[in-house]
Amino acid sequence: MIILTLSAMAGTSKLMAPYLDDLSHRDDAERFQQLASHLLLNAGTPASWGQMQATVLSNLGLAKADSSLPYELDIDKVSRLNSENIYSLTYSELWEALGVKDVAFQIEVKTLFELSISLISNSTQGNQTVYEFEVATEKSGMPLSTDLSGYVVVESFVDKVTTATASNGVGSLTVNVPNSVNGTVLMLVFARAQVNPQMVSFNTYTFGHNSPTPLPNRTFTRLSPLNHVLNVSLAYSTIEILKPQVFTFNYNFSLTEKADGVQTVEYFIPQLLDSSPMITVLTGHNGSTSFAEWVSYPQLSLQIGVDFSESIAGSKIVSLSHIVTINFALYEVVTKWGGLS
Amino acid sequence: MFDQRGQIRIIEAFLAIAVIFSVLLISVTFPSSPNLERQKSLANLGTQALIKLDTNGTLGNLIMQENWTTIKQALDILLPTGVSFNLTVYDENMQPINSQTIQNSNLLGREAVSVQYICATQNLNVQFFVLRLQLAWTR
Repeated sequence: MIILTLSAMAGTSKLMAPYLDDLSHRDDAERFQQLASHLLLNAGTPASWGQMQATVLSNLGLAKADSSLPYELDIDKVSRLNSENIYSLTYSELWEALGVKDVAFQIEVKTLFELSISLISNSTQGNQTVYEFEVATEKSGMPLSTDLSGYVVVESFVDKVTTATASNGVGSLTVNVPNSVNGTVLMLVFARAQVNPQMVSFNTYTFGHNSPTPLPNRTFTRLSPLNHVLNVSLAYSTIEILKPQVFTFNYNFSLTEKADGVQTVEYFIPQLLDSSPMITVLTGHNGSTSFAEWVSYPQLSLQIGVDFSESIAGSKIVSLSHIVTINFALYEVVTKWGGLS
Repeated sequence: MFDQRGQIRIIEAFLAIAVIFSVLLISVTFPSSPNLERQKSLANLGTQALIKLDTNGTLGNLIMQENWTTIKQALDILLPTGVSFNLTVYDENMQPINSQTIQNSNLLGREAVSVQYICATQNLNVQFFVLRLQLAWTR
């Protein structure tokens, strides 16, 4: 009798326990899923808060206003999530605007696949130096066949090269830089998946050409794109800008100046229909030091919010992945949600 | 008489404790049932991948061209690593039309979730297709 009772209770318990456990958290998971959908499908209030830098955000939503495409995000709303942008919102502002007091969250926006650049060799040939780069495209270790579009930028010199990665995801780019110029060189590479032109990734590689190793990006300028205007905050009053430009997979243009202030300059960013992130590049000098600094528009990759990696073991955290469209290109948004105790 | 009753009560109490601990032990030791929320998020992910792939009629065109390899490679990029998938494309009469399997790994033995999506070609002679995407977490 005892064995029978024990077996019956054990069996019932085994069958019911996971469902009971799931029931206790079902509301959380469902709620977090709904919150993620709300965040990515609604434009927020005001609907054009991305472009309106002075407006108080009352309801958080990242979708592009009046978009007919589901999960199409606004390029400026995404850019304002990046703390490197001078118009960025803090996590507490975003949390207040979400309006759910017992929930903490994290938002991460990134390209669908990764691109890495490494300099293989350089050699002087006549009056120019030939640099060879190896470019690898992969998604979490899985190689991807992509078309590559590379730009080399140094002072006022710009050159473009195109190639493709092989089935192992590796390709080679060779650029020639004239020895008549010297300073910081920015190698900028876009990769477009051969299976779908909306899947684009990018990366940069900086090195010195006849000059010392360059200083890190954002040493001389703070570049903040918003509402198709690039705001440039100069770190030193002695900085001289040589050439502001914008690059996409297919095109590159010089930027026209909008306004000039005290250690700030603004440039118009053209509205391009290329399904590609835009990368604005500024070359210039500070005394004898040359620089080539850049920022992407939308300003990626970004991560804002609570760091859940140090959460208490057993606390409920839900991670949700979504594929979104920003300016005709596809990106991945990972949102993490957890309860505030 | 009273002493014997007391002993039985003590034995009963010990047995009850043993029963409770046994049940707890069994519940913790054995694997649990399907994780419903993970399955639901997987289904959402699959639907989104198909929606994004269908932008501007791309998916319909790929099906018309019978370009199954490209569809598979696009899903490889759109879906996170750690997700197995198997896509079957049906015509209007629910007859499978993909001549080769569109999958990244075998779903056998995994807890799969299935999503259904209807897509149409964007040309004058409109054709409809039903896509059934089965997905499973590999870990």
